[in-house]
Amino acid sequence: MTTNPMHQFEVYRIGPEIKIAGIDLSFTNASLFMLISAVAICAVFFLGTKEKKLIPDKFQLISEIFYNFIAKMISDTAGSKAKPYFPFIFSLFMFVLFCNMLGMLPYSFTVTSHIIVTLIMAIFIFIAVTVIGFLKHGFGYLKLFVPSGVPNILLPLITVIEIISYLSRPVSLSVRLFANMMAGHTMLKVFGGFVISLGMLGGWLPLSFSVALTGLEILVAFLQAYVFAILTCIYLNDALNLHH
Amino acid sequence: MTDPNDDFKTRLKIAKDKVKNSTRINNNNENSSFMGSAFKLGTDLIAAVAVGTIIGFILDSWFDTKPWLIILFFFLGSAAGILNVIKIAKRMQKKD
Repeated sequence: MTTNPMHQFEVYRIGPEIKIAGIDLSFTNASLFMLISAVAICAVFFLGTKEKKLIPDKFQLISEIFYNFIAKMISDTAGSKAKPYFPFIFSLFMFVLFCNMLGMLPYSFTVTSHIIVTLIMAIFIFIAVTVIGFLKHGFGYLKLFVPSGVPNILLPLITVIEIISYLSRPVSLSVRLFANMMAGHTMLKVFGGFVISLGMLGGWLPLSFSVALTGLEILVAFLQAYVFAILTCIYLNDALNLHH
Repeated sequence: MTDPNDDFKTRLKIAKDKVKNSTRINNNNENSSFMGSAFKLGTDLIAAVAVGTIIGFILDSWFDTKPWLIILFFFLGSAAGILNVIKIAKRMQKKD
């Protein structure tokens, strides 16, 4: 067993090496856990929607709670115009949530603790929101960068600042999820290492910390998925209902 | 013996009233969204500074004006970060 706290983030290949046009497309443990979470989401919703009972069983209850939660979140933050985007935000939330939660199991791999995964999702959201904004408002979408009521002298400066603020969205969106997941899992592993090195005498204190941190990490895993989804809604709201 | 149908109706009424009067669930929701905003504040402040500095660095190597644009865009990025925080704070106040 290794005591290196960063060892848990290593990506390694499972099965044969697949290379297409010089790009490594091998199946890794990261792909495995993405697949597991996708299958788990499908299984929960398949079981939940198989028979529609008046008094729901566990799976139906879970799927209904998630559905209501996301539907309420979208209507609260982005309004009724965002209803067509419900499937996307719902899948995004479920995928991030399941990846985070599966990462909490011992010996598992946390997909969202890799910045490339979160950055790709954030860049996709960023580009999609920008395209939606331009499709809905044409070049009027550029008004987002020109706040009203600003004196003419300050206008170029404010516009540059607004553009930087707009470009910082995917960065903050991806770094937040990645940093929270990685920091939490590293901390858990470090405290786990303390338990072993302090032994039977002193190991109880870090062990109790570990238990508390596990609870905190489950909260963070849920909260980060929630924040990721709600920020997508907020950005979508800016693109759909332009008011500045 | 009471009619089982009547019994169900009163129970349904009590349950409906409970749902109507319950603000606990809402409170919980608000709480988690405030915690989400708290997580958001820090990263948004830093991300804008980082993006500003990177833009400055790229423009510097394009126009060969090292180190002036990186300094300028660092400050513009800091301003953008503060702007981000002000926007989040406004949104949080609107909820109250």
